[in-house]
Amino acid sequence: MTQKLDLLDIQGNIIRAYGRFGYPMARYVFFNIRHSARAREFVGTVTDRVTTAVEWGEGPGQIKQPDWTVNIAFAYQGLKQLELPRASLSGFSPEFISGMKDRRDILGDDGPSSPENWDPIWAENRKNRDKDVHIFIALNARLPALLEEGYAWLTGVAKQYRDAVAILNGHRGEHGALYDYQDVKAVMENGQPTAKEHFGYTDGIGDPVFEGAPNYDLNVRGRGKQLEDGSWAPLATGEFLLGHIDEAREYPPAPEPILLSRNGTYMVYRKLHENVATFDAYLDEQGRKYPGGKELLAAKFVGRWRDNGAPLVKAPDAESKQKFDAEFAAADQAGKDKLLSDFTFDDDMSGAKCPFSSHIRRINPRASLQMVKGSKPGSMIFNKDAFDTPGALSNRRRILRRGLPYGEVKDRSRDDGNHGIVIMMLNTDINRQFEFVQQEWINYGNDFQEGSDKEILLGNHNADNKFPSKAVLQVDPNSDQAPYMLSKIPRFIETRGGEYFFVPSLTALRMIAQGVVDPT
Amino acid sequence: MTGNISGNAYALTILSPIKDGYTPDEIAYADLIRDRLQGWNMEHNSPMAKVPQTYLCRFFVLDDVYTESLPGAGFLDTLSDLLPVVPDRTRRNALPKEDHLQSRYLVFSCNFHGGAGGDLEGYLRGMWGAIGDRIREIWGYCYGFEQVTDADTFITYMKKCQLPAALFFNGSNDEPLEEQLKALYLKQELAKFAAENQGLDAATLRRNFQAFMQRVAPTNLAEPTWPAGKYRI
Repeated sequence: MTQKLDLLDIQGNIIRAYGRFGYPMARYVFFNIRHSARAREFVGTVTDRVTTAVEWGEGPGQIKQPDWTVNIAFAYQGLKQLELPRASLSGFSPEFISGMKDRRDILGDDGPSSPENWDPIWAENRKNRDKDVHIFIALNARLPALLEEGYAWLTGVAKQYRDAVAILNGHRGEHGALYDYQDVKAVMENGQPTAKEHFGYTDGIGDPVFEGAPNYDLNVRGRGKQLEDGSWAPLATGEFLLGHIDEAREYPPAPEPILLSRNGTYMVYRKLHENVATFDAYLDEQGRKYPGGKELLAAKFVGRWRDNGAPLVKAPDAESKQKFDAEFAAADQAGKDKLLSDFTFDDDMSGAKCPFSSHIRRINPRASLQMVKGSKPGSMIFNKDAFDTPGALSNRRRILRRGLPYGEVKDRSRDDGNHGIVIMMLNTDINRQFEFVQQEWINYGNDFQEGSDKEILLGNHNADNKFPSKAVLQVDPNSDQAPYMLSKIPRFIETRGGEYFFVPSLTALRMIAQGVVDPT
Repeated sequence: MTGNISGNAYALTILSPIKDGYTPDEIAYADLIRDRLQGWNMEHNSPMAKVPQTYLCRFFVLDDVYTESLPGAGFLDTLSDLLPVVPDRTRRNALPKEDHLQSRYLVFSCNFHGGAGGDLEGYLRGMWGAIGDRIREIWGYCYGFEQVTDADTFITYMKKCQLPAALFFNGSNDEPLEEQLKALYLKQELAKFAAENQGLDAATLRRNFQAFMQRVAPTNLAEPTWPAGKYRI
């Protein structure tokens, strides 16, 4: 029997990437708790306004789509301040308890990405009790005025509970000014919101599809899990929601009581600065040398063309790209999604189209990790007998990605402007999913037979002459072309802060607010 | 012990019983050995890096064997469980006894290049020659080590402490250590060369490659190459 989720109990940001549902802007506000009992009342008041995952409609009896949404999550320190029982607290995962800063070595947050360089709100977090980040509240809105409306509501509630919670300042904005909130919004082109980030790539394609999510059966191809017979199935719900069966046919580890964790999940919040000048300069310099030209090279970094996100496995060169573009232009929304997501690496095992170190291959290798060396130098072939299912090595490493760009690029010749992306990743096991991908697939390349080569775009590259970062762009092993080597890759992305949060269900929120969480 | 040989690799396992005594400042010999071994971690490089042909090695002090659970549930156990006439004491006595070691042991396990014949004596002689004083600092509190005075007596002693290791994971590619280090060095340098010279015309590439070959001297195993046994970059 297929899974039917209680969408009224699940927070809306878990199921929906709001940016794709007509909410191109958001504001993230973080609170420090000053009085536990009153802070629980604050949580209760906010909970009444929290946006669920329910399906919206205009018909009678249907819930109307709101003008702005509210979602809430807690850092471990926050749950402690809300006085959850110790037996419940100790059931949370060790990495959630430790927090993102403590995991810097695993995440590769070194050099310019190290916590002492983070925005003050994140640098001060977990150093001084009064500066600890306890509560996260996200407001997403359709229009700027509506975002202000939502923010006015939230600051009104915060004022009402000013003895209990304080808004934390310290988000860096324009010219180093510090703000009470983190603003994010879609990059605009001709007055219209786009799905682009500041390097010019189309973002947010191919989010995983899991059982029970609305319409999961419609877009499972390329976004669920690859099966042996070439078909696709949705991923197990328990990879993304606690209290449900995961890909190992088990319940993911979660705190007691089950009502506290069920329909909730963990959220990884990361503010990533984009060095646009460094990126442009490197792309220009290498693009002049790269035989395929600059735009193909940009596509090789990510595995998708920058303009419309066309996957390289479907459009590996200019000619096939033209064909793809024609098809893409003619397709409806569902057709477009299919064109962008419905592919495998089965016909590109040697990485000639989509390089092993490109973004999409590293974060979701699909069945391509089940490879062994072929007879020709540089060729890899599918080792289909090694595992039960083609996705055996990747189905437990999938992550829901939510996020929007922040800031604006005013001067592309400078790195130090206020521009980047805030990404929120949702999974039921931060260590097994997010941290593994970050450590093993983004900042290391051994699983891809690429030695210590990092993912080209997100890797914590070191351009230092002693240990320069490099990546190889493979070519067809049957051709006489030489692989192209990207050398001395500089760091394009720098971490500016973040923390691990727990996103409870609506039931759990009400229990937390009432102080009735009881693990016995 | 031919079971210790896989290709050109030799798996050496040594268990040396540690004397049951303590120093004037009341540290048990076994604990002192462990402290000294942990001190090796703090040195710039492992003393074992000086021992020729060492692929990899590990030291630890074995305090006792670990008991995971009592074995049981064979047919007779199940039968005796089902028969209430079997007294509890009899049933317990029939279970296997818990095992313990009679002393604490210094364990040294090592994979080295021993050639097709597995030249253990040659390896141990090299070890004594390279780090004899460091060996004494670790093994000095083991039973019988007082008889070790030179390479020959060290070989005799180690052979007495040796355990067969019929199954082992050979994580090396079988070549002598200096060959492997040179190969890794060449691989890394060639990757750098490829990155720095891609796209050049054939004549320049050829000229640069000749200069490269001169510099890296592929047939010279002594230099330039990687040094053995790096703890940290």
